[in-house]
Amino acid sequence: MEESGFSTVVLTPTPEYHRKIGFPRVAAIAYPYGRVVGEVHDSGGQRAVLLEVLSVFEKAERAGEVYHLPFTWPEDPKDTKWHPSEMSPIVKLLLDKIKKARKEAGDR
Amino acid sequence: MGKIVDGFRFVPPALRAWLSQDVPSEPFNGYIPWTALRKPVKQLTFSLMTSAGINIKSDPPFNMEREKREPTWGDPTCREIPEYTTERDIDVNHLHINTSYIKQDINVMLPVKRFKEFEEEGIIGRLAPTCYSYYGFQLDAAVLLDTTMPKVAAKLSEEGVDAVLLTPA
Repeated sequence: MEESGFSTVVLTPTPEYHRKIGFPRVAAIAYPYGRVVGEVHDSGGQRAVLLEVLSVFEKAERAGEVYHLPFTWPEDPKDTKWHPSEMSPIVKLLLDKIKKARKEAGDR
Repeated sequence: MGKIVDGFRFVPPALRAWLSQDVPSEPFNGYIPWTALRKPVKQLTFSLMTSAGINIKSDPPFNMEREKREPTWGDPTCREIPEYTTERDIDVNHLHINTSYIKQDINVMLPVKRFKEFEEEGIIGRLAPTCYSYYGFQLDAAVLLDTTMPKVAAKLSEEGVDAVLLTPA
């Protein structure tokens, strides 16, 4: 998009991937996957997030800037139910590798 | 010091450990394309683009059945979402997130109504007639990037779009 002449902001819950890909402008938000703009029917909360995103468009001066937005999701992470009802095909396929990664992380 | 977002805060420990393996420890130091704003935000034409797997009901849904058969494949196509679309007009298909929230309120991922409000209030220039959804699970993004997105870029140009908000699912 950016190479085609459009200015972009990515509103993302996972700004860490910026280290791998390199986004032009990043607005990082601590919201769960599938609801990065805000809660269902919370127009005021969604509006607040988006006004901050628009300010990122304005204040970013060079490629690669990351802005961490000041919002906190009201639920405990384990209560957010962001995940699909059934394990995704790729997770089923790689389950052994995922468990191994967990074990190695725990061992460190 | 201000808030620093932990991108894996909402995932369980096993998934965090696995996903983190894919994240470099050093900042990105390659080429990043850049298009500076040509006008203030209040004069810009915006479009919105999400990877949440949304389609309007008159369009075919993203292909979940093929991904179930071929777990490393993700649908590389894109759907147009008109600016006045509501949750009543859409289907949502995605094997990696809970889609029920988007089905209740499209704005949690594709905030078309919020941007129309911004347009009415003069906060932005306007929302373009067309927004977009693609499908975010792409282990190989070649078809999405080389075949699908150039067509999207052409339509964005036709509609006079200056800026795009991207909302990954």
